[in-house]
Amino acid sequence: MPRFTPQNAAEAAEIIARAAAGNQPLEIIAGASKRALGRPVASNDVLDISALRGIISYEPAELVLSVHAATPMSEIEAALSEHQQMLAFEPPDWRGLLGSGGEPTLGGVVACNQSGPRRVRAGAARDYFLGFSAINGWGESWKAGGKVVKNVTGYDMSKLQAGAFGTLSVLTEITLKVMPKPQTATTILLPSLAGEVAIALLSQALNTPYEISGAAHLPAVVARRSGVAAAAQGGAVTALRLEGHAPSVAFRVEAAEVLLGRGERLDAAQSAQFWREVGEVSPLLPAEGRVIWRLCPTPSAAPEVLQGISGAFASAEAYYDWGGGLIWLSLDAAAAGPDAGAAAVRGAMARAGGHATLIAAPAALRTAVPVFTPLPGPLEALARRVKQSFDLRGILNPGRIQEGH
Amino acid sequence: MILMPPPDQAVLARRTQIVADLRQIVPGDGVIDTEHERRAFECDGLTAYRQLPMVVVLPSTTAQIVGVLRYCTAHNVKVVPRGAGTSLSGGALPLEDGVLLGLGKFKRILEIDTANRCVVVQPGVTNLGITHAVQGLGLYYAPDPSSQIACTIGGNVAENSGGVHCLKYGLTTNNVIGIEMVTMDGEILRLGGKHFDSGGLDLLGVMVGSEGLLGVVTEVTVRVLPPPPGARALMIGFPTVEGSADCVADIIAAGIIPGGMEIMDRLAVEAAEAFVHAGYPLEAAALLIVELDGVAVEVDHLVALVEEIAQRHGATSCRASQSEAERLLFWAGRKAAFPAVGRLSPDYYCMDGTIPRRRIGYVLARITQMEQVYGLRVANVFHAGDGNLHPLILYNANIPGELERAEEFGNDILRLCVEVGGVLTGEHGVGIEKRDLMGTMFNETDLGQQQRLKCAFDPASLLNPGKVFPQLCNCAELGRVHVHGGQTRFPELPRF
Amino acid sequence: MQTNFTAAQLANPDIAASEQILRSCVHCGFCTATCPTYALLGDELDSPRGRIYLIKDMLENDRPATAEVVKHVDRCLSCLSCMTTCPSGVNYMHLVDHARHHIEETYRRPWADRALRRVLGAVLPSPARFRLALRAAALGKPFSRYMPARLRAMLALAPARLPAPSPVSRPQIFPATGPRVRRVAMLAGCAQQVLAPQINEATVRLLTRHGCEVVVANGAGCCGALTHHLGQDGHAAARANILAWQREIESGGLDAIVMNASGCGTMVKDYGFMFRNDPQLAAPAAQVSALAQDITELMARIGLRQPVQTSGQRVAYHSACSLQHGQKITNEPKQLLKQAGFTVLDVPEGHLCCGSAGSYNLLQPEIAGQLRERKVMNIKSTAPDLIAAGNIGCLTQIATGTQLPVVHTVELLDWATGGPKPAALG
Repeated sequence: MPRFTPQNAAEAAEIIARAAAGNQPLEIIAGASKRALGRPVASNDVLDISALRGIISYEPAELVLSVHAATPMSEIEAALSEHQQMLAFEPPDWRGLLGSGGEPTLGGVVACNQSGPRRVRAGAARDYFLGFSAINGWGESWKAGGKVVKNVTGYDMSKLQAGAFGTLSVLTEITLKVMPKPQTATTILLPSLAGEVAIALLSQALNTPYEISGAAHLPAVVARRSGVAAAAQGGAVTALRLEGHAPSVAFRVEAAEVLLGRGERLDAAQSAQFWREVGEVSPLLPAEGRVIWRLCPTPSAAPEVLQGISGAFASAEAYYDWGGGLIWLSLDAAAAGPDAGAAAVRGAMARAGGHATLIAAPAALRTAVPVFTPLPGPLEALARRVKQSFDLRGILNPGRIQEGH
Repeated sequence: MILMPPPDQAVLARRTQIVADLRQIVPGDGVIDTEHERRAFECDGLTAYRQLPMVVVLPSTTAQIVGVLRYCTAHNVKVVPRGAGTSLSGGALPLEDGVLLGLGKFKRILEIDTANRCVVVQPGVTNLGITHAVQGLGLYYAPDPSSQIACTIGGNVAENSGGVHCLKYGLTTNNVIGIEMVTMDGEILRLGGKHFDSGGLDLLGVMVGSEGLLGVVTEVTVRVLPPPPGARALMIGFPTVEGSADCVADIIAAGIIPGGMEIMDRLAVEAAEAFVHAGYPLEAAALLIVELDGVAVEVDHLVALVEEIAQRHGATSCRASQSEAERLLFWAGRKAAFPAVGRLSPDYYCMDGTIPRRRIGYVLARITQMEQVYGLRVANVFHAGDGNLHPLILYNANIPGELERAEEFGNDILRLCVEVGGVLTGEHGVGIEKRDLMGTMFNETDLGQQQRLKCAFDPASLLNPGKVFPQLCNCAELGRVHVHGGQTRFPELPRF
Repeated sequence: MQTNFTAAQLANPDIAASEQILRSCVHCGFCTATCPTYALLGDELDSPRGRIYLIKDMLENDRPATAEVVKHVDRCLSCLSCMTTCPSGVNYMHLVDHARHHIEETYRRPWADRALRRVLGAVLPSPARFRLALRAAALGKPFSRYMPARLRAMLALAPARLPAPSPVSRPQIFPATGPRVRRVAMLAGCAQQVLAPQINEATVRLLTRHGCEVVVANGAGCCGALTHHLGQDGHAAARANILAWQREIESGGLDAIVMNASGCGTMVKDYGFMFRNDPQLAAPAAQVSALAQDITELMARIGLRQPVQTSGQRVAYHSACSLQHGQKITNEPKQLLKQAGFTVLDVPEGHLCCGSAGSYNLLQPEIAGQLRERKVMNIKSTAPDLIAAGNIGCLTQIATGTQLPVVHTVELLDWATGGPKPAALG
């Protein structure tokens, strides 16, 4: 299995240009922590860009960070912490979920648009992606966006690259907007609410001006697996996070509880652990013998979606994040059947709007079952044309999103 | 001099038939044909550039839009979409051989969904109109471009509009969660919706900010938020611009993200004060307005922090608002800055560029030097929080040559922005105004890749050609494209 | 905007004035946000910015008005909402008045249109003729469904029963009750006298109660607004008023000239501009304009006496365009009504015209009807007991769209301070 390891972007471009000329598809890896995410790539050759790492420039007062694409997240988070800053979209570590090793890099995070619990208020990775340099499917080096937080010069290519799973171009340099880290955090845990009631309450909470930055609901069986004692006490937990400077948090927590109900309060450290688990899907792990889906329904329709799926699969375990806008769902693999439960899952999602992605499943299943929600014809055709406008020969991560491109 | 693509003579020759055919698709007053009526559409907010459209079409339904676009594709007729025509970059400048497609009749609010905190509207609804529709429910639409009273959400989507509060609350693209659009060949597509994230490629993300080049937006779903419970503003005077910029940098370095931060230079302050009498400090070289929002305990805490930072940077005056009325008064001058400056001079040219904030002092000093070279005054207003400048170049259009000098001056300022590591436009869009400067930021390969994306949406290049990119793309070349050493692509195709 | 007038063109003072107005417009489009016809039609040509562009094109090129220009200018309500919104201070009112005049001079309207406008211009400003016309209209009401749209709209606006004429509108002097603190002239008006004589009666009672000697000047009549906005000559009526009030100023002195129809107020306050180039009348006209006040303006200065009866009723205050946009009077009427003991409700979309706009509801019944429906819906959303406004046109227009009582602000102030309960309130 040929493995190319360019030492810099120029070398990477040459490799890709040669691959394009010879119609040789490439699987793109950096930290190799998310190879099992998406459909398996139809290629034997690997382009390993892990040498393209390092912080290029970091200007805390400008809120701008520029790095080489394969810079490990740990390095970035450490650098940001020193200046009390953070990536507001709270990228989660899915190595546990995917059962993989490797070292998550920013390139992978951005390419997969990985966003954690704070996404419900702060936005996704794509909302912080200011600009980049990349190599397209012809081996051309190109750039778009800029290094300032406010820029509308040309098409917003950053949005297109985020969540493209490396199928449009190989990111080599990434510029992100960073934000100040909140001084402290508190999480309110409201006990024993049923799913529908919880989602309605989360919606109410998100409609308050108290800047709720985490809104999750864990049914009892899932909550009990939390490493945070107060969350694992017995029943379902409905969790609301409030962040900021201490007096503000104290005031808002009190105001929120008066409005929504009292519960256990997690301090900053417990909050950090709780929400990390939510982002990393820990409550549904280990994934052996299970398949795990990631559903993004219209939030108010989430309880109905889950009801439909639970009706079809007694083995279903799930929890809600983003106020209901994200459902992590685990099914017994055998019970789910040869389509990993896709028919039931996508059927339940049909009325709710949104999409469902098969995240954790054996490679064979992820080849046979549409991992991403199939698009209606015209949209599918447009997506294919867009792919071709970056990678006509289909050599960059072919098949990662859709079979055939 | 800004060249537009040469008109298609074959299309012009068939003009009468085209108008008649369009009347079949859009009956009634929706097709405007007389020359003097078409003239009212010949420019948008950038009045220096005017072009009579071949015909104006004002549809009332999406079906009519589909019909018009299909017809135009079949007959090779170009289309320029238009919202409220408030663009400051010439985005809605018509084409001599094109249909000017106005979305002004699409004014309905379709759905307000408080449970999911979103509103579904037609593209002709104004930005402020969305907030008005939901404010009774304790919600609002956050992006607030200065023209929000009149600009349409469809136009906001095209330009990825910003506004004073976008540092904290994001641009249009961070607040639009779904659109319905019609492609040039008449396909209706729905991108995004009430759910989070796209399930694959983020086509919605690239549509926002595409300046009417990729499709016609027929419906928009926006996120709405509960407004902050309160806000206070500080009005701070500095003896130097550098001082105000350094103060802004320190505020952010202190971990504070204000709702808004605006700086006005002396000329802008003088003009605004004469107009509105808000009590602006006329001795200051730069005036910084900082707005802090949130719950009261947080706001008061932040006000104290900002006051302290301002002192450290040599502020000559610092007033914190003690009431809502006072807060609005502080802002009144800033909001009136453009028209106030407009009273200093018969005309002004509003520029838009973004720079790293730490270069503000340097850039303004260079602009002052350029004032001497061009013999024109500049008043500076800018979104200090994100480094987005709005130099207002004062001139008199009725004096021959002044408009041209103002444009040259503007171009020099934009080149300067790019020179210091910034970008050509922070919120107004490229349009035609900055089109020919795209090469200062992007090379042929960069622009070529953007052009190829266009081909995926509009292979015949009929949607708004001549805007944003200095070259038309020829999609037939797509398969054979390659570049060696930065050679010019398509050398055999004529430049316009 | 850049303009292209020749020196010869600019020698004409009206063109010169309009050129200045055109230069002040920067084409920003803010005016489109608050224009009622743009709100309904979504067509740039039916927005102030578009109309400005059409007018500019027409005047620069010295062209006669075309049918299209006439269509779009005719649709303009002259509500002046655009002037309130415009950040650049464009005097749209003067520009569109100039355009209307240019249209009447250069465009031959279809005969029915010409006839109607001639009739309106002859009938409305004269109380005697108007009264006759309304009697005829009352007879015609049963047959309205057989009539063309415009006539039908007119018949709908005509009251079913005509109130008896009031002696209050004849030239005379009403002494102050108690010591005289001010001497003011009251414009008795034209159409209002006929449709709602109780408004002048309430005005006189209110003012005399507050120490004003009220003069209805001999020779003062219609303010000229209706004919002026039709593009016909309003100068004759204005001249008569200026001379009448000048006589009063010279004989007994005047502290103010009071209007209780805000449409008239805007017109009289513009007399100074209208006659700026008239060597004889320039100074008196300016003086008259300086003395002109709306009744609520004057009452705010005088200060309302302690109310003798308060009802606490919920009043939806409709802010007439000529009052809020034309004269920039927004708070005084509401403050006075609050002081008088009413609960004052703001109407949503309050900047939008009700569709009356002088004779607009007679000439553009479709648009006027849509605007009325929108206004009534907005008023009803506040759940009021009654509706108050400061202009007869609005009162008549809104009344045809709702069963709620509709009264003039001055009637409520009069009632609260000792006058009779308005008949409309039962």
